[in-house]
Amino acid sequence: MSKSTNRRVPGARPATKPTKPSTSSKTAARGRRPGTAARRAPGAHSATKRFRSRHPVLTALAPVALILAIVATMVIVKVTSGPSAPTGVAAASALPGGKGAAASSDPGTSTLAPGVEASLDVPAATLDRVGKSASVVAPSATGDTGPILKDADGKPVVTYIGAEYCPYCAAERWSIAVALSRFGSFSNLSATHSAANDVYPDTQTLSFYGSQYSSAYLDFQPVEEATNQAVNGSYATLQEPTAAQSNLLARFDQQGSIPFLDIANKYVVVGASFSPQVLAGLTQAQIAQQLGDPSSPVAQAIDGAANEITAAIVRVTGQQPSSVASSSAIASIATSLGS
Amino acid sequence: MRTPAHEVVAAPRWARATSLGLSLAAVAVASYLTVTHYTDPAALACPDTGVVNCTLVTTSSWSVMLDVPVAVLGLAWSIVMTGLTVPWAWRSERVWLQRARVAVAGLGAAMVLYLVYVELFRIGAICLWCTAIHVLGVGLFGVVMAAGATARRDAEVLA
Repeated sequence: MSKSTNRRVPGARPATKPTKPSTSSKTAARGRRPGTAARRAPGAHSATKRFRSRHPVLTALAPVALILAIVATMVIVKVTSGPSAPTGVAAASALPGGKGAAASSDPGTSTLAPGVEASLDVPAATLDRVGKSASVVAPSATGDTGPILKDADGKPVVTYIGAEYCPYCAAERWSIAVALSRFGSFSNLSATHSAANDVYPDTQTLSFYGSQYSSAYLDFQPVEEATNQAVNGSYATLQEPTAAQSNLLARFDQQGSIPFLDIANKYVVVGASFSPQVLAGLTQAQIAQQLGDPSSPVAQAIDGAANEITAAIVRVTGQQPSSVASSSAIASIATSLGS
Repeated sequence: MRTPAHEVVAAPRWARATSLGLSLAAVAVASYLTVTHYTDPAALACPDTGVVNCTLVTTSSWSVMLDVPVAVLGLAWSIVMTGLTVPWAWRSERVWLQRARVAVAGLGAAMVLYLVYVELFRIGAICLWCTAIHVLGVGLFGVVMAAGATARRDAEVLA
Protein backbone atom coordinates (compact mmCIF):
# COMPACT_ATOMS: atom_id res chain seq x y z
CA MET A 1 0.00 0.00 0.00
CA SER A 2 1.47 3.28 -1.00
CA LYS A 3 1.80 6.06 1.48
CA SER A 4 -0.73 8.21 -0.28
CA THR A 5 -3.48 5.63 0.07
CA ASN A 6 -3.46 6.23 3.78
CA ARG A 7 -4.45 9.79 3.23
CA ARG A 8 -7.88 10.99 2.36
CA VAL A 9 -8.08 14.26 0.57
CA PRO A 10 -11.68 15.35 0.68
CA GLY A 11 -12.49 18.07 -1.75
CA ALA A 12 -9.50 17.83 -4.01
CA ARG A 13 -10.33 21.26 -5.20
CA PRO A 14 -7.52 23.78 -4.89
CA ALA A 15 -7.33 25.75 -1.71
CA THR A 16 -8.91 29.09 -2.45
CA LYS A 17 -8.68 30.62 1.01
CA PRO A 18 -5.39 29.71 2.52
CA THR A 19 -5.40 30.70 6.17
CA LYS A 20 -1.70 30.21 6.64
CA PRO A 21 0.16 32.04 3.92
CA SER A 22 3.42 30.32 4.65
CA THR A 23 2.29 26.73 4.17
CA SER A 24 3.67 26.70 0.65
CA SER A 25 5.19 29.16 -1.65
CA LYS A 26 2.28 28.76 -4.06
CA THR A 27 -0.48 29.48 -1.61
CA ALA A 28 1.58 32.07 0.14
CA ALA A 29 2.04 33.98 -3.06
CA ARG A 30 -1.69 34.01 -3.63
CA GLY A 31 -2.76 34.68 -0.09
CA ARG A 32 -0.24 37.20 1.14
CA ARG A 33 -1.74 40.38 2.42
CA PRO A 34 -0.49 43.52 0.76
CA GLY A 35 2.20 45.18 2.76
CA THR A 36 3.03 42.19 4.91
CA ALA A 37 6.40 41.64 3.34
CA ALA A 38 7.22 45.30 3.51
CA ARG A 39 7.28 45.16 7.29
CA ARG A 40 9.96 42.49 7.40
CA ALA A 41 13.36 42.07 5.92
CA PRO A 42 12.72 40.31 2.61
CA GLY A 43 15.56 37.85 3.10
CA ALA A 44 14.50 36.77 6.57
CA HIS A 45 10.90 36.39 5.54
CA SER A 46 11.66 34.19 2.59
CA ALA A 47 14.13 32.12 4.59
CA THR A 48 11.51 31.48 7.26
CA LYS A 49 9.00 30.65 4.59
CA ARG A 50 11.36 28.23 2.92
CA PHE A 51 12.11 26.50 6.19
CA ARG A 52 8.41 26.18 7.00
CA SER A 53 7.73 24.80 3.55
CA ARG A 54 10.51 22.27 3.66
CA HIS A 55 10.09 21.23 7.29
CA PRO A 56 6.42 21.59 8.21
CA VAL A 57 6.57 18.94 10.93
CA LEU A 58 9.63 20.49 12.55
CA THR A 59 7.92 23.85 12.45
CA ALA A 60 4.79 22.43 14.01
CA LEU A 61 6.83 20.85 16.79
CA ALA A 62 8.45 24.15 17.74
CA PRO A 63 5.87 24.81 20.50
CA VAL A 64 6.58 21.36 21.93
CA ALA A 65 10.30 22.08 21.91
CA LEU A 66 9.57 25.37 23.66
CA ILE A 67 7.61 23.57 26.38
CA LEU A 68 10.40 21.06 26.89
CA ALA A 69 12.94 23.87 27.05
CA ILE A 70 10.90 25.71 29.69
CA VAL A 71 10.54 22.54 31.78
CA ALA A 72 14.26 21.85 31.47
CA THR A 73 15.02 25.42 32.52
CA MET A 74 12.79 25.12 35.57
CA VAL A 75 14.48 21.87 36.59
CA ILE A 76 17.95 23.38 36.14
CA VAL A 77 17.01 26.48 38.13
CA LYS A 78 15.55 24.30 40.87
CA VAL A 79 18.58 22.02 41.05
CA THR A 80 21.14 24.80 40.97
CA SER A 81 19.31 26.97 43.49
CA GLY A 82 19.48 24.22 46.08
CA PRO A 83 16.82 23.12 48.51
CA SER A 84 14.32 25.72 49.57
CA ALA A 85 11.55 25.81 52.07
CA PRO A 86 8.38 24.68 50.41
CA THR A 87 5.45 26.98 50.85
CA GLY A 88 2.02 25.65 51.43
CA VAL A 89 3.38 22.77 53.42
CA ALA A 90 4.77 23.01 56.89
CA ALA A 91 8.41 22.16 57.01
CA ALA A 92 9.41 22.07 60.61
CA SER A 93 13.07 22.27 59.73
CA ALA A 94 12.65 25.37 57.66
CA LEU A 95 10.41 27.72 59.52
CA PRO A 96 10.52 31.16 57.96
CA GLY A 97 11.89 33.88 60.15
CA GLY A 98 13.11 31.61 62.88
CA LYS A 99 15.59 33.31 65.15
CA GLY A 100 17.74 30.40 66.04
CA ALA A 101 19.80 28.19 63.86
CA ALA A 102 18.27 24.79 63.61
CA ALA A 103 20.49 21.86 64.25
CA SER A 104 21.65 20.22 61.07
CA SER A 105 20.51 16.87 62.36
CA ASP A 106 18.59 15.57 65.30
CA PRO A 107 20.52 12.90 67.17
CA GLY A 108 17.58 12.18 69.43
CA THR A 109 15.42 10.75 66.68
CA SER A 110 15.30 7.72 64.47
CA THR A 111 13.27 6.61 61.51
CA LEU A 112 9.62 6.10 62.31
CA ALA A 113 8.53 2.57 61.52
CA PRO A 114 6.12 2.46 58.56
CA GLY A 115 3.59 0.57 60.64
CA VAL A 116 3.60 3.27 63.29
CA GLU A 117 3.21 6.00 60.69
CA ALA A 118 0.32 4.12 59.10
CA SER A 119 -1.37 3.69 62.47
CA LEU A 120 -1.81 7.45 62.72
CA ASP A 121 -4.54 7.19 60.11
CA VAL A 122 -7.00 5.82 62.62
CA PRO A 123 -10.21 4.70 60.89
CA ALA A 124 -13.11 7.10 61.33
CA ALA A 125 -15.26 4.30 62.73
CA THR A 126 -12.72 3.68 65.48
CA LEU A 127 -12.57 7.37 66.34
CA ASP A 128 -16.36 7.51 66.41
CA ARG A 129 -16.46 4.57 68.80
CA VAL A 130 -14.00 6.31 71.11
CA GLY A 131 -16.08 9.47 70.88
CA LYS A 132 -15.73 11.90 73.76
CA SER A 133 -13.35 10.42 76.27
CA ALA A 134 -13.71 11.30 79.93
CA SER A 135 -9.96 10.99 80.43
CA VAL A 136 -8.92 13.91 78.25
CA VAL A 137 -9.00 17.67 78.51
CA ALA A 138 -10.73 19.55 75.72
CA PRO A 139 -9.16 22.55 73.95
CA SER A 140 -10.05 25.87 75.52
CA ALA A 141 -11.79 28.57 73.57
CA THR A 142 -9.60 31.67 73.57
CA GLY A 143 -12.51 34.06 73.29
CA ASP A 144 -10.54 35.91 70.65
CA THR A 145 -12.97 37.95 68.59
CA GLY A 146 -10.51 38.66 65.77
CA PRO A 147 -10.38 36.82 62.50
CA ILE A 148 -9.35 33.21 62.25
CA LEU A 149 -5.57 33.07 61.91
CA LYS A 150 -4.86 32.10 58.31
CA ASP A 151 -1.78 31.75 56.17
CA ALA A 152 -1.11 33.43 52.84
CA ASP A 153 -3.16 30.76 51.11
CA GLY A 154 -6.17 31.45 53.29
CA LYS A 155 -5.88 28.24 55.27
CA PRO A 156 -6.32 28.28 59.06
CA VAL A 157 -3.00 27.98 60.88
CA VAL A 158 -2.47 25.37 63.58
CA THR A 159 0.68 26.06 65.60
CA TYR A 160 2.40 23.54 67.83
CA ILE A 161 5.29 24.39 70.13
CA GLY A 162 6.99 21.68 72.11
CA ALA A 163 10.28 19.91 72.63
CA GLU A 164 11.50 16.39 72.27
CA TYR A 165 12.65 16.01 75.88
CA CYS A 166 9.19 16.98 77.16
CA PRO A 167 7.07 13.97 78.26
CA TYR A 168 3.79 15.90 78.01
CA CYS A 169 4.69 16.88 74.46
CA ALA A 170 5.42 13.22 73.80
CA ALA A 171 1.88 12.31 74.76
CA GLU A 172 0.23 15.22 72.96
CA ARG A 173 2.03 14.66 69.64
CA TRP A 174 0.23 11.37 69.14
CA SER A 175 -3.15 13.07 69.39
CA ILE A 176 -2.11 15.96 67.19
CA ALA A 177 -0.81 13.58 64.54
CA VAL A 178 -3.96 11.44 64.63
CA ALA A 179 -6.17 14.52 64.40
CA LEU A 180 -4.22 16.20 61.61
CA SER A 181 -4.10 12.96 59.63
CA ARG A 182 -7.83 13.45 59.06
CA PHE A 183 -7.16 16.74 57.25
CA GLY A 184 -3.99 15.92 55.34
CA SER A 185 -0.90 13.80 55.47
CA PHE A 186 2.47 13.79 57.15
CA SER A 187 5.77 12.73 55.75
CA ASN A 188 9.22 12.49 57.23
CA LEU A 189 7.98 12.07 60.76
CA SER A 190 10.65 10.60 62.99
CA ALA A 191 10.57 8.50 66.12
CA THR A 192 11.82 9.84 69.41
CA HIS A 193 11.19 9.70 73.16
CA SER A 194 11.07 12.06 76.07
CA ALA A 195 14.12 12.59 78.27
CA ALA A 196 15.28 9.68 80.37
CA ASN A 197 15.83 11.78 83.49
CA ASP A 198 12.48 13.55 83.58
CA VAL A 199 9.04 12.46 84.79
CA TYR A 200 7.46 9.78 82.63
CA PRO A 201 10.94 8.94 81.33
CA ASP A 202 11.47 7.73 77.79
CA THR A 203 7.85 8.16 76.78
CA GLN A 204 7.76 6.91 73.23
CA THR A 205 6.56 9.40 70.63
CA LEU A 206 7.21 10.95 67.27
CA SER A 207 8.88 14.22 66.37
CA PHE A 208 7.58 16.91 64.07
CA TYR A 209 11.12 18.20 63.52
CA GLY A 210 11.99 17.85 59.85
CA SER A 211 8.52 16.59 59.03
CA GLN A 212 6.25 17.86 56.34
CA TYR A 213 2.51 18.13 56.42
CA SER A 214 0.25 18.90 53.52
CA SER A 215 -3.43 19.61 53.66
CA ALA A 216 -6.00 21.33 51.55
CA TYR A 217 -7.72 22.55 54.69
CA LEU A 218 -5.15 23.89 57.11
CA ASP A 219 -1.55 24.91 57.58
CA PHE A 220 0.32 23.13 60.36
CA GLN A 221 3.36 24.94 61.76
CA PRO A 222 5.21 22.86 64.33
CA VAL A 223 8.17 23.99 66.37
CA GLU A 224 10.34 21.53 68.27
CA GLU A 225 12.44 23.75 70.44
CA ALA A 226 14.98 21.23 71.68
CA THR A 227 16.21 17.67 71.38
CA ASN A 228 16.14 15.08 74.14
CA GLN A 229 19.94 15.12 74.21
CA ALA A 230 21.47 17.07 77.07
CA VAL A 231 24.53 19.16 76.24
CA ASN A 232 26.33 20.86 79.15
CA GLY A 233 23.29 20.50 81.32
CA SER A 234 20.70 21.72 78.83
CA TYR A 235 18.97 20.28 75.82
CA ALA A 236 20.38 21.18 72.44
CA THR A 237 18.31 23.71 70.58
CA LEU A 238 16.50 22.57 67.48
CA GLN A 239 14.31 25.51 66.57
CA GLU A 240 13.09 28.74 68.05
CA PRO A 241 9.61 30.13 67.49
CA THR A 242 9.24 33.03 65.13
CA ALA A 243 8.18 36.40 66.48
CA ALA A 244 4.59 35.67 65.50
CA GLN A 245 4.68 32.31 67.27
CA SER A 246 6.21 33.88 70.35
CA ASN A 247 3.37 36.37 70.34
CA LEU A 248 0.92 33.48 70.39
CA LEU A 249 2.61 32.12 73.49
CA ALA A 250 2.55 35.53 75.11
CA ARG A 251 -1.16 35.92 74.41
CA PHE A 252 -2.49 32.48 75.24
CA ASP A 253 0.19 30.78 77.34
CA GLN A 254 1.70 33.34 79.67
CA GLN A 255 3.57 30.65 81.60
CA GLY A 256 5.25 29.50 78.43
CA SER A 257 4.22 25.92 79.11
CA ILE A 258 4.70 23.25 76.50
CA PRO A 259 3.16 21.55 74.71
CA PHE A 260 1.24 24.47 73.31
CA LEU A 261 -1.24 24.07 70.50
CA ASP A 262 -2.94 27.06 68.93
CA ILE A 263 -5.82 26.38 66.58
CA ALA A 264 -6.12 29.51 64.46
CA ASN A 265 -6.28 31.71 67.57
CA LYS A 266 -9.71 30.30 68.46
CA TYR A 267 -8.75 27.30 70.60
CA VAL A 268 -5.64 26.40 72.51
CA VAL A 269 -4.31 23.36 74.29
CA VAL A 270 -1.76 24.22 76.97
CA GLY A 271 -0.11 21.16 78.44
CA ALA A 272 -1.01 17.60 77.59
CA SER A 273 -4.62 16.61 76.99
CA PHE A 274 -4.04 13.40 78.96
CA SER A 275 -1.50 11.94 81.32
CA PRO A 276 1.65 10.47 79.76
CA GLN A 277 1.28 7.70 82.31
CA VAL A 278 -1.03 5.98 79.82
CA LEU A 279 1.98 5.42 77.58
CA ALA A 280 4.41 4.36 80.30
CA GLY A 281 6.45 1.33 79.37
CA LEU A 282 4.85 0.95 75.96
CA THR A 283 6.85 0.67 72.77
CA GLN A 284 5.90 2.62 69.68
CA ALA A 285 4.57 -0.54 68.09
CA GLN A 286 2.37 -1.24 71.11
CA ILE A 287 1.02 2.29 71.10
CA ALA A 288 0.37 2.07 67.37
CA GLN A 289 -1.44 -1.21 67.79
CA GLN A 290 -3.71 0.08 70.52
CA LEU A 291 -4.65 3.19 68.56
CA GLY A 292 -6.98 1.01 66.52
CA ASP A 293 -8.63 -0.63 69.54
CA PRO A 294 -11.30 1.78 70.78
CA SER A 295 -11.56 0.04 74.14
CA SER A 296 -7.85 0.29 74.95
CA PRO A 297 -6.60 2.92 77.40
CA VAL A 298 -4.25 4.24 74.73
CA ALA A 299 -7.06 4.79 72.24
CA GLN A 300 -9.27 6.32 74.90
CA ALA A 301 -6.52 8.82 75.63
CA ILE A 302 -4.88 9.50 72.28
CA ASP A 303 -7.89 9.04 70.02
CA GLY A 304 -10.11 10.79 72.53
CA ALA A 305 -7.83 13.82 72.60
CA ALA A 306 -7.54 13.67 68.82
CA ASN A 307 -11.32 13.89 68.57
CA GLU A 308 -11.31 17.00 70.73
CA ILE A 309 -8.62 18.63 68.61
CA THR A 310 -10.41 17.58 65.43
CA ALA A 311 -13.66 19.11 66.63
CA ALA A 312 -11.87 22.39 67.34
CA ILE A 313 -10.21 22.35 63.93
CA VAL A 314 -13.42 21.83 61.97
CA ARG A 315 -14.80 24.88 63.74
CA VAL A 316 -12.09 26.99 62.07
CA THR A 317 -12.11 25.24 58.70
CA GLY A 318 -15.78 25.97 58.19
CA GLN A 319 -16.83 22.37 58.82
CA GLN A 320 -14.40 21.09 56.20
CA PRO A 321 -13.91 18.40 55.19
CA SER A 322 -17.56 17.58 55.59
CA SER A 323 -16.84 13.88 55.96
CA VAL A 324 -14.89 14.64 59.13
CA ALA A 325 -17.15 17.37 60.47
CA SER A 326 -20.25 15.22 60.07
CA SER A 327 -18.88 12.14 61.76
CA SER A 328 -20.87 11.32 64.86
CA ALA A 329 -18.09 11.88 67.39
CA ILE A 330 -16.88 15.16 65.93
CA ALA A 331 -20.35 16.58 65.43
CA SER A 332 -21.18 15.74 69.02
CA ILE A 333 -17.98 17.13 70.52
CA ALA A 334 -18.08 20.28 68.40
CA THR A 335 -21.39 21.28 69.95
CA SER A 336 -19.85 21.12 73.41
CA LEU A 337 -16.84 23.28 72.55
CA GLY A 338 -16.95 26.87 73.65
CA SER A 339 -16.71 29.62 71.12
CA MET B 1 -19.31 23.04 6.08
CA ARG B 2 -16.72 22.31 3.42
CA THR B 3 -13.23 23.31 4.31
CA PRO B 4 -10.05 24.19 2.53
CA ALA B 5 -8.25 21.12 1.34
CA HIS B 6 -5.07 21.85 3.28
CA GLU B 7 -6.99 21.69 6.57
CA VAL B 8 -9.00 18.52 6.16
CA VAL B 9 -6.55 15.89 4.99
CA ALA B 10 -6.70 12.92 7.31
CA ALA B 11 -3.83 12.57 9.68
CA PRO B 12 -1.32 9.78 9.17
CA ARG B 13 -2.17 6.45 10.68
CA TRP B 14 0.70 6.54 13.17
CA ALA B 15 -0.58 9.81 14.57
CA ARG B 16 -4.14 8.53 14.93
CA ALA B 17 -3.01 5.38 16.70
CA THR B 18 -0.45 7.12 18.90
CA SER B 19 -2.76 9.91 19.96
CA LEU B 20 -5.54 7.53 20.90
CA GLY B 21 -3.11 5.36 22.84
CA LEU B 22 -1.70 8.35 24.71
CA SER B 23 -5.20 9.61 25.47
CA LEU B 24 -6.33 6.27 26.84
CA ALA B 25 -3.18 6.04 28.95
CA ALA B 26 -3.92 9.52 30.28
CA VAL B 27 -7.45 8.44 31.16
CA ALA B 28 -6.05 5.46 33.07
CA VAL B 29 -3.53 7.50 35.05
CA ALA B 30 -5.98 10.33 35.74
CA SER B 31 -8.59 7.80 36.89
CA TYR B 32 -6.10 6.32 39.32
CA LEU B 33 -5.22 9.75 40.69
CA THR B 34 -8.90 10.67 40.97
CA VAL B 35 -9.86 7.49 42.79
CA THR B 36 -7.02 7.83 45.27
CA HIS B 37 -7.84 11.51 45.74
CA TYR B 38 -11.30 10.57 46.97
CA THR B 39 -10.29 7.46 48.89
CA ASP B 40 -6.80 7.50 50.31
CA PRO B 41 -4.17 9.80 48.76
CA ALA B 42 -1.49 8.08 50.81
CA ALA B 43 -2.29 4.81 49.03
CA LEU B 44 -0.66 5.99 45.78
CA ALA B 45 2.01 3.56 44.65
CA CYS B 46 4.78 6.10 44.99
CA PRO B 47 7.57 6.99 47.42
CA ASP B 48 6.47 9.47 50.06
CA THR B 49 9.83 10.71 51.24
CA GLY B 50 12.36 13.05 49.71
CA VAL B 51 11.91 14.88 46.44
CA VAL B 52 9.55 12.29 45.03
CA ASN B 53 6.46 12.48 47.20
CA CYS B 54 3.13 11.88 45.52
CA THR B 55 1.09 12.26 48.70
CA LEU B 56 2.63 15.63 49.43
CA VAL B 57 1.74 16.86 45.95
CA THR B 58 -1.73 15.36 45.66
CA THR B 59 -2.83 16.63 49.06
CA SER B 60 -1.24 20.06 48.82
CA SER B 61 -3.29 23.22 48.56
CA TRP B 62 -2.44 23.28 44.85
CA SER B 63 -4.19 19.96 44.27
CA VAL B 64 -7.48 21.82 44.03
CA MET B 65 -8.33 24.54 41.52
CA LEU B 66 -11.57 26.49 41.85
CA ASP B 67 -12.83 23.85 44.26
CA VAL B 68 -12.21 21.12 41.68
CA PRO B 69 -9.44 18.59 42.34
CA VAL B 70 -6.70 18.79 39.74
CA ALA B 71 -6.99 15.02 39.35
CA VAL B 72 -10.60 15.47 38.24
CA LEU B 73 -9.58 18.22 35.83
CA GLY B 74 -6.95 15.87 34.41
CA LEU B 75 -9.50 13.12 34.01
CA ALA B 76 -11.93 15.43 32.26
CA TRP B 77 -9.18 16.67 29.95
CA SER B 78 -8.04 13.16 29.06
CA ILE B 79 -11.60 12.03 28.36
CA VAL B 80 -12.13 15.00 26.05
CA MET B 81 -8.80 14.26 24.35
CA THR B 82 -9.86 10.65 23.88
CA GLY B 83 -13.03 11.85 22.22
CA LEU B 84 -11.02 14.10 19.94
CA THR B 85 -8.61 11.36 18.93
CA VAL B 86 -10.94 8.47 18.22
CA PRO B 87 -10.85 7.37 14.56
CA TRP B 88 -14.17 9.10 13.81
CA ALA B 89 -12.83 12.42 15.05
CA TRP B 90 -9.66 12.11 13.03
CA ARG B 91 -11.69 11.28 9.89
CA SER B 92 -14.08 14.15 10.38
CA GLU B 93 -13.84 17.07 8.00
CA ARG B 94 -15.18 19.49 10.56
CA VAL B 95 -12.65 22.26 11.02
CA TRP B 96 -13.88 23.12 14.49
CA LEU B 97 -13.12 19.57 15.56
CA GLN B 98 -9.56 19.82 14.32
CA ARG B 99 -9.09 23.17 15.95
CA ALA B 100 -10.60 21.89 19.18
CA ARG B 101 -8.13 19.01 19.16
CA VAL B 102 -5.19 21.38 18.84
CA ALA B 103 -6.66 23.77 21.42
CA VAL B 104 -7.39 21.09 24.02
CA ALA B 105 -3.98 19.49 23.50
CA GLY B 106 -2.38 22.92 23.82
CA LEU B 107 -4.36 23.63 26.96
CA GLY B 108 -3.07 20.39 28.42
CA ALA B 109 0.52 21.30 27.55
CA ALA B 110 0.13 24.73 29.11
CA MET B 111 -1.31 23.15 32.22
CA VAL B 112 1.73 20.89 32.38
CA LEU B 113 4.00 23.94 32.55
CA TYR B 114 1.96 25.40 35.40
CA LEU B 115 1.86 22.14 37.35
CA VAL B 116 5.57 21.48 36.93
CA TYR B 117 6.24 24.99 38.23
CA VAL B 118 3.98 24.36 41.22
CA GLU B 119 5.63 21.03 41.99
CA LEU B 120 9.18 22.39 41.75
CA PHE B 121 8.84 25.83 43.28
CA ARG B 122 5.73 25.85 45.44
CA ILE B 123 5.44 22.36 46.86
CA GLY B 124 9.04 21.26 46.55
CA ALA B 125 8.18 17.69 45.63
CA ILE B 126 7.50 15.68 42.51
CA CYS B 127 4.63 13.26 42.00
CA LEU B 128 5.55 10.37 39.71
CA TRP B 129 1.98 9.74 38.59
CA CYS B 130 1.51 13.42 37.86
CA THR B 131 4.74 13.38 35.88
CA ALA B 132 3.44 10.44 33.88
CA ILE B 133 0.36 12.37 32.85
CA HIS B 134 2.53 15.42 32.12
CA VAL B 135 4.61 13.36 29.71
CA LEU B 136 1.45 12.03 28.10
CA GLY B 137 0.06 15.56 27.79
CA VAL B 138 3.14 17.00 26.11
CA GLY B 139 3.38 13.90 23.93
CA LEU B 140 -0.21 14.30 22.83
CA PHE B 141 0.37 17.95 21.99
CA GLY B 142 3.38 16.98 19.91
CA VAL B 143 1.54 14.24 18.06
CA VAL B 144 -1.45 16.47 17.33
CA MET B 145 0.77 19.26 16.05
CA ALA B 146 2.87 16.90 13.94
CA ALA B 147 -0.22 15.21 12.54
CA GLY B 148 -1.68 18.53 11.48
CA ALA B 149 1.54 19.60 9.81
CA THR B 150 1.90 16.29 8.02
CA ALA B 151 -1.67 16.42 6.76
CA ARG B 152 -1.25 19.96 5.50
CA ARG B 153 1.96 19.07 3.71
CA ASP B 154 0.36 16.05 2.06
CA ALA B 155 -2.67 18.08 1.04
CA GLU B 156 -0.51 20.62 -0.67
CA VAL B 157 1.47 17.94 -2.43
CA LEU B 158 -1.67 16.21 -3.62
CA ALA B 159 -3.44 19.42 -4.56
